[in-house]
Amino acid sequence: MNTVTVTLVQQDGVEVTIPNAPTGASLMEVAKANAVEGILGECGGACACATCHVYVDPQWQEAVGPPDVLEEMTLDGVSHILRDNSRLGCQILLREELDGLRVAVAPPQ
Amino acid sequence: MSATEQTTRMDSCPVTGHEVDLSATTLKDPTILARPNEFYWTMRHQDPVHYDAGLDMWLVSRYEDLQTVLADPITFSVEKGYAEQYAKGYIEEFKEILERDGGGFFPDAIMTDPPYHTRIRKLMEGAFTAHRVKQLEPEIAKVVAGLVDKFADKGAADGVQDFAVPMTIQIICAQLGLDDYDAASIQRWSLAVTAQIGRMQDREQMRENARVICELQNYLIAQIRDREAKPRDDMLSDLVHARTTDEDNPTLTFKEVVSLARALLIAGNETTATALGNLLYILATRPELARELYDNVDDERYVTRFVEEVLRLEPPVRGLSRMTTREVELGGAVLPKGAHMLNLYASGNDDETVFECPRKFDLQRPNIGRHVAFGGGAHRCVGLALARMEVKVAAREFVKRIKDIALDIPVEEIRYLPTVATRSIERLPLTFAKR
Repeated sequence: MNTVTVTLVQQDGVEVTIPNAPTGASLMEVAKANAVEGILGECGGACACATCHVYVDPQWQEAVGPPDVLEEMTLDGVSHILRDNSRLGCQILLREELDGLRVAVAPPQ
Repeated sequence: MSATEQTTRMDSCPVTGHEVDLSATTLKDPTILARPNEFYWTMRHQDPVHYDAGLDMWLVSRYEDLQTVLADPITFSVEKGYAEQYAKGYIEEFKEILERDGGGFFPDAIMTDPPYHTRIRKLMEGAFTAHRVKQLEPEIAKVVAGLVDKFADKGAADGVQDFAVPMTIQIICAQLGLDDYDAASIQRWSLAVTAQIGRMQDREQMRENARVICELQNYLIAQIRDREAKPRDDMLSDLVHARTTDEDNPTLTFKEVVSLARALLIAGNETTATALGNLLYILATRPELARELYDNVDDERYVTRFVEEVLRLEPPVRGLSRMTTREVELGGAVLPKGAHMLNLYASGNDDETVFECPRKFDLQRPNIGRHVAFGGGAHRCVGLALARMEVKVAAREFVKRIKDIALDIPVEEIRYLPTVATRSIERLPLTFAKR
């Protein structure tokens, strides 16, 4: 199994770099496994609760891509903290092109 | 004071001056259960974590305190709280009946604490992702159309008995792979199971409910035995043959399978039917909303928001129990170890510090998805995407086919199931015209 490195910046400013994140896993799963603060993933990756909300670093937005319609609907429920670069961590599946990915954890709902 | 006056006062904004005398009131009172919002309001403002002597429970009423509870499933144990609530007062006799006539007493495997809960939960999560549920949308639309077509020409029907209840039963049975079911039995089973956490049954009712639950379990056990021998392409087979991520306990035990099948068939189904009843109640009592919904019926964002606001304003689950595993301070109250609590999600959704003018149906809320109708934390409703989809498709297909929806009885005559756990309309006679 291949791995990539991803970095999540918590609300408190602490940067968590995960050097061995397996490809195929979601960013939410990897963040939870590494106890990243603010990534709760309460619905278990069902794209249904927006508790793994992240802001993708502008440099990585193109590689990560936009949310699909279902994800947009879930993000719309938290429009008070929504930004152009909002994504749900559970819907970002890690792949080799995302090696070095950097995101910020969105504030709590 | 009439029910209508109370509703009008609660609908005002800012919400002020709605005190009830908490010391003289209990949530067990059927009039409070039917119209609870002033009671919730008073708690949030006077005694946010309120000891209800009638229930012998601590009621958690504020959004913020609910979040504290939801974030800490170890201090606030679902397993202990649920077990304490279950068949309260009669649990030993209840167990005996189930063990003697119902194949066994199978505690709910999902109503447990981490780390055990995590193993069970992971198994259930894959079944109801938003993307999987999206694929069911055409099938759900067909179910709705089939039910509505049966009564559209008649101009009158019962929104709960003729629509909400059969709809959710048809959908969950198709998912589980139960093709020879009797809808009336499933409804009886649902009421008997949910009564166990409702706190309103007496001993005779408990014995009758236990007998009904034996029937349910014997039916499910036969189905499970069948899937053990001959797996099919259905959710029941998935459950029977599931592999967990836990290498020491890779498969579910028989007890766990029965309890999870029961939870899937009953728990999610009953609460979703309640949500559908509430949706129709809103459409019938607020005709301007029904018209606006029709005008925007093909706007995905609009309908999604409509459903969220229905769930916030009239959440099907009123309150679920927890128990403290240590002494803890919450919302200014000190709860001893072993304190039995009721998380009042319905009150959290009504908290004006989070939702401005909370009794107003407002599709423009920026935080519309922040409601706690599905609870939160590790125990957030696992079927939430399916529940939302069912309510969404029902809303859309109903107004596409039916117009001029109105209540066929005075609003004061609407009866709710006697339970603290949900706020479920029993019967909802409606009149309407075919579109």
